[in-house]
Amino acid sequence: MSTELTDVKDFIKAIAPFDGLTESLLSALIKEISICYVREGEQLPAQGIDKPSLYVIRKGSLRSANKNNELIGKFAEGDICALFCSEQQRTEQQQTEQQYTGQNEDLMVTAEEDTLLYAIDFDGLKTVCQSFPNIVEFFSASAANRLSKKVAEINEQAVVASTLMNTAISHFYHGPAVTIDVDESIQAAAIKMTELNFSCLLVVKDDALVGIVTDKDFRRRCIAQGLSLTAPVGDIMSESVHMIDVKARAYDALIKMNSAGIHHLPVGKNGQLAGMVTITDLMKQEGHNAVNMSSMIAKAHSVDELANIAKLLPKLQISMRKLGTTAENVGKTMSAITNAFTRKLIAMAIEKFGDAPVPFAWVSAGSQARQEQTVNSDQDNALIIDDAMQSKDEPWFKQLAEFVCDGLAECGYVYCPGNVMASNDKWRQKQAVWQGYFDKWVNQPEPLALMNSSIFFDLNTVYGEERYLQALRERVLAKTQRNTLFLAHLSANAVKLRPPLGFFRDFVLIDNGKHKKTLDLKHNGIAPIVDLARIYALSEGICEVNTLERLKQAAGTPSLSKDAAGSLISAFEFLTMLKVEHQVDQLLADDDTDNYLAPNALSQLDREHLKDAFKVIKSMQSVRQTTYG
Amino acid sequence: MFFERWFGLNAKRLRLLEKAPKGPLKDFLAVPFPESDTPIKHVDMLALDFETTGLQPSKDHILSMGFTSLSNGVITLKDSQHLLVNNQMNLDRDNVKIHQITDSEQASGEPLAVVVEALLQQLAGKVMLVHYAQVERTFLQQACLHLYGMVPVFPIIDTLLVAKRRFDLSDTSYDPSRLRLVNLREEFQLPAHHEHNALNDAIATGELLLAQLQQSEQGMNTPLKNLLV
Repeated sequence: MSTELTDVKDFIKAIAPFDGLTESLLSALIKEISICYVREGEQLPAQGIDKPSLYVIRKGSLRSANKNNELIGKFAEGDICALFCSEQQRTEQQQTEQQYTGQNEDLMVTAEEDTLLYAIDFDGLKTVCQSFPNIVEFFSASAANRLSKKVAEINEQAVVASTLMNTAISHFYHGPAVTIDVDESIQAAAIKMTELNFSCLLVVKDDALVGIVTDKDFRRRCIAQGLSLTAPVGDIMSESVHMIDVKARAYDALIKMNSAGIHHLPVGKNGQLAGMVTITDLMKQEGHNAVNMSSMIAKAHSVDELANIAKLLPKLQISMRKLGTTAENVGKTMSAITNAFTRKLIAMAIEKFGDAPVPFAWVSAGSQARQEQTVNSDQDNALIIDDAMQSKDEPWFKQLAEFVCDGLAECGYVYCPGNVMASNDKWRQKQAVWQGYFDKWVNQPEPLALMNSSIFFDLNTVYGEERYLQALRERVLAKTQRNTLFLAHLSANAVKLRPPLGFFRDFVLIDNGKHKKTLDLKHNGIAPIVDLARIYALSEGICEVNTLERLKQAAGTPSLSKDAAGSLISAFEFLTMLKVEHQVDQLLADDDTDNYLAPNALSQLDREHLKDAFKVIKSMQSVRQTTYG
Repeated sequence: MFFERWFGLNAKRLRLLEKAPKGPLKDFLAVPFPESDTPIKHVDMLALDFETTGLQPSKDHILSMGFTSLSNGVITLKDSQHLLVNNQMNLDRDNVKIHQITDSEQASGEPLAVVVEALLQQLAGKVMLVHYAQVERTFLQQACLHLYGMVPVFPIIDTLLVAKRRFDLSDTSYDPSRLRLVNLREEFQLPAHHEHNALNDAIATGELLLAQLQQSEQGMNTPLKNLLV
């Protein structure tokens, strides 16, 4: 009984982004609500609502369509329709969308069934949520802006969280503690810090820790306050000192620093001051796992041993993600380890079959080459052999390819379903033959052939002569840059994989208004961006293969505006992060990993961000279509 | 026309206004009620619910009231109020289980006079919207009699009656429990709500009327008189 308006409040506070509001602000926000009931087929804004408002669907559903009555999205219980937030914002959004799609998205929102709506007055919301600017921004920003903000947040977390769960502080703290007596002068403290090149000192009184003084304190509490240099250092120290026990884990130190907003943490041993640990120390601990694994691979003696090491890969992905490593770094680490396995297997093969008769290059293709592998990736590889190869040398390379591909398979890299492997005669060829392949793909493009060969436009040398691939790449890029027919075919293929429209209840909503149970993160989200990035690279002569690098380098070229590149980068980072996270969840549950995400496993907020990512992809695909349509 | 002028609610209101003592009740009666042929979308309503200690106005008490305005098809929560009445009495245990108002909460409430005055202020010029009007009408009349020595008139829309009139049109019999607020809301596919909280129930009643209106033939153009008790 104590709370009034409990029904409305309980409903609203479960919905992102309102779930972060304090109880009193929530009560104030509830007062801004008008309840209305819209009949099936009726159009929004609802009768009686004449001010810019957000609509929260309490019961029923809404659909939005463009002026050609093509479905744009659907809203169900708990969804927020922000299309009527403010007149000004709407036109702004239309303008950006116009830029992307070249068409005016005049949206029409209708009730799909009888619908009970909570309309929140937007000006009222702005007033109530003044102290939560991110909430107002959430509704006023465009899809691209919201997404880049979210990704920035994740990356920030990644930087501060990058430390090892199971490393004890005793392994890397600095001891003994460097201290200064509380009565010594500020200048004496500064001199001591300068001499030792330290950014902070612990302040003690009768050997007991009483405070801490950092570089910042000199600026803020001494100089800015006009304090004398002879004043005691105790005047400028921070008194609330947190201490952590030497036996605690690095992770605990990190949490303590994060929650207190500090970068230095005194370390105690049996209650006595023993030293200091800094945020930089914690960050340095990152990546050791991956380094360890690479050195284990190098030291292995048999394929069996390698296969055993490979069993650690899921654990590595879990720990990297749990530590907040970005998806980009997970991809790079995983790909680097695959490279290490491949190199080791090649070395083993050479030991077994003798030296190579002629020079060669072992190249990786697809996600391994792009450095975007995760734990469930399959193997894609090929061999480029020196033109000097005689037919008598061929069996050696066949043996090599089979040994390596089989070895990789034993390490858990499943055989490529499309048979893009060096063990396939077609992809184990001399330089000249490869040149011929590429010439044909580029000069006489055929849609189907191109679809199967797009993987070869993402190649990377893993072992051997890098110059073969370089020469090929230069030749190809010189041709693709001006070849509109080739680019048109590639574009046509790239836009075939369409992202979904969004979510509706617990389903994924696709183009034709139908629902699917799961979202295919790879094919409906990540692959379309990879394809787009490849096209930009090929049309602008960029030799990078990593998707993020391609987008960064293509930014500001005629193919891709800087803004659009930023949006695609955010979308890619967000989607790959979700993929890594999804796989980690599956690994922890001992399930096989895949790329299929069920909408009900997502938070409301992640759904919103995903919708934003889809919008970004869609608009960039439309540009491709109109350019080469 | 003559009938309306002599027996209509506004006519009764004016006659009562002359006799009413100065104060909240006179102020309430001074504001005209909406004319009975006004389309419902132009009628200001106040969705209202009481929690009481029982069903007999002569010996039971109002414990709390919740109200919120409804006009032009929209329920506005801005001016919604939930008021507790301090009756300075001990509450019956079994009763507390239903309305969840504890003795200490009751003690934090206002005297009946203050609460009724706040309600009359909000209700002036509006139509009272309730579910099962019997409780709110008789208890409010009893309170007015006690406080001002006079029983006023109220234009009332009762969502139970609106539903009943519709059910009665069909020849088939129906289970009377279908007329309960929760059950009617379920029939109209409105979300479940917390019963026995006066403000939640008032809002729930308002939502029910909106749904009922949307499904009626004339919708928001229905004249007020078709809906009045």
